[in-house]
Amino acid sequence: MLPHLDAAYNLARWLTRNDHDAEDVAQEAMLRAYRFVDGLRGEPRPWLLAIVRNACFSWLQANRPAELAAAVDAEAADAPDLSDGPEALAARDGDRRMLNEAIAALPPQFREVLVLRELEDLAYKDIARIVGVPIGTVMSRLSRARRLLADSARVIARAANAGVHE
Amino acid sequence: MISEETARLLNAYLDGELDPVNGREFEAQLAASAELRAALESMRGQSAAIRAVADYHVAPESLRARIGAAAQPVERVRGVRARWWRGAAALALVALASVALTLWFVRPGADRELTADLLASHVRATLDQRLYDVASSDQHTVKPWLSARLPYSPPVNDFSGHGFDLLGARVDFVGGRQVAVLVYKRRQHVVDVFLWPDPTPAPRRTLTREGFNVESLSRDGMRFFLVSDLNRNELGDLARLLAAHAAAP
Repeated sequence: MLPHLDAAYNLARWLTRNDHDAEDVAQEAMLRAYRFVDGLRGEPRPWLLAIVRNACFSWLQANRPAELAAAVDAEAADAPDLSDGPEALAARDGDRRMLNEAIAALPPQFREVLVLRELEDLAYKDIARIVGVPIGTVMSRLSRARRLLADSARVIARAANAGVHE
Repeated sequence: MISEETARLLNAYLDGELDPVNGREFEAQLAASAELRAALESMRGQSAAIRAVADYHVAPESLRARIGAAAQPVERVRGVRARWWRGAAALALVALASVALTLWFVRPGADRELTADLLASHVRATLDQRLYDVASSDQHTVKPWLSARLPYSPPVNDFSGHGFDLLGARVDFVGGRQVAVLVYKRRQHVVDVFLWPDPTPAPRRTLTREGFNVESLSRDGMRFFLVSDLNRNELGDLARLLAAHAAAP
C-alpha cells in the first residue's frame, strides 16, 4: 500500500486543503486499508483511493459541512455556456499559485474528479468506483469542474488586469 | 452555445473516453463546428496546464514512517484483547496480508506502477525545469552529494566522451523508496537514470510508454532505469556504458 501513499496523500491534501488534516485523514485511511486488505479486488490504487476519498468526505461532513452543501447548489446551477471559450491557463510561474487556488476553491465534488483525472490520470471507470457514482456522473462533474475552473481563471485574470488582484 | 450534453462529450473526447463509434461521430461534429474546436483547444490547454503546474502533494516522510510503524501495533493491540486463538488468527491474517502485499510488488502490476512512477518523475522534472538539484558535470561533485542524501553510494560516471553529458543529479521518490537520479543530456534529449541497490538480478528490458523509452538493467547489485524521449538505439548505448562502468569506483 505504501507505493500509493503519495496518491492517497495528494487526494487527502486537495480535499482537506491543509497539511495537518491531510496527514491525519490519509493515515487513518491507510491503516483501514491495511486492515481490509483481503477485501481488495482489482487494482490497488483505485481501491485505496476509494477508502481515502470516503475518509475525506466523512471529515468534510464533520468539519466543513458548509463546503459540501455549497457543492449541491453548484451541481443544480445552469447549463455551462462554452461559447465564449474558456481561456487556456498559461503554464507560467506566476500562474501556478493562481491555478492551485482556483482548483482549491472548487466545491469538493468537482475538485475530487478533477484531481483524480488530471493529477492521478485515472480512467473514468476508476474515478466512478472511487467516488461511488455512475460513469455518466463522472463525465458531468468533470465537465462542470473544468468549466468552473476556466470561469474562475477568467475572473482572476480580469481582476489582475484591472490591478485589483495584487 | 454548446449544450451540456455536447460539453460532456467534449470532455470525454479530450480524455480519450469515447468508444470508437461515438468518437467518430463526435469528430464529425468537431469538423463541422469551429466553436467546438476552439472549446476543445482551450480545454486541452487547461488540462495541460493543470498537469504541468498544479501541486502534486507528496506524502511527508514522517507520515510514511508513522504508517509503516503503526500498521503492526494495530494488529497487536487487537490480539491482546482477544483470546489467544484470535490473536493467532490475527497474526495469520497479518502474515497473509504481507504475502499478498509481497505478491503485488513482484507481479507485473507492480512493474507497471514502477514504470508509471518513473515516467511521472521524469515528466515532472522536465516540465518543472527542475531537472536536477545538484548541477555539475563533475562526477566527483555529484557522487558525494548523492551519498550524503541516500543510504547508499551510487556509481556516477561522466560519459561526455561518448556523447552523454552529465548535467547533474536529484533525489526522487519512486516505487516507495528514495532513489538517485542521474541526469544526462544527448543533443537536446534529457535522459534520467534512476538507480538503487537491488540484490536480485533482473534481465535487461526495454519498453516504450507514452512516447518515452524506458530501459532497465541490473549490474553488481544496482538496478538501473533509463527514461528518455531519446531513441532506443542511443538509449541502449547509454545502458551499455552504465552496465560496463557500474562497478568502477
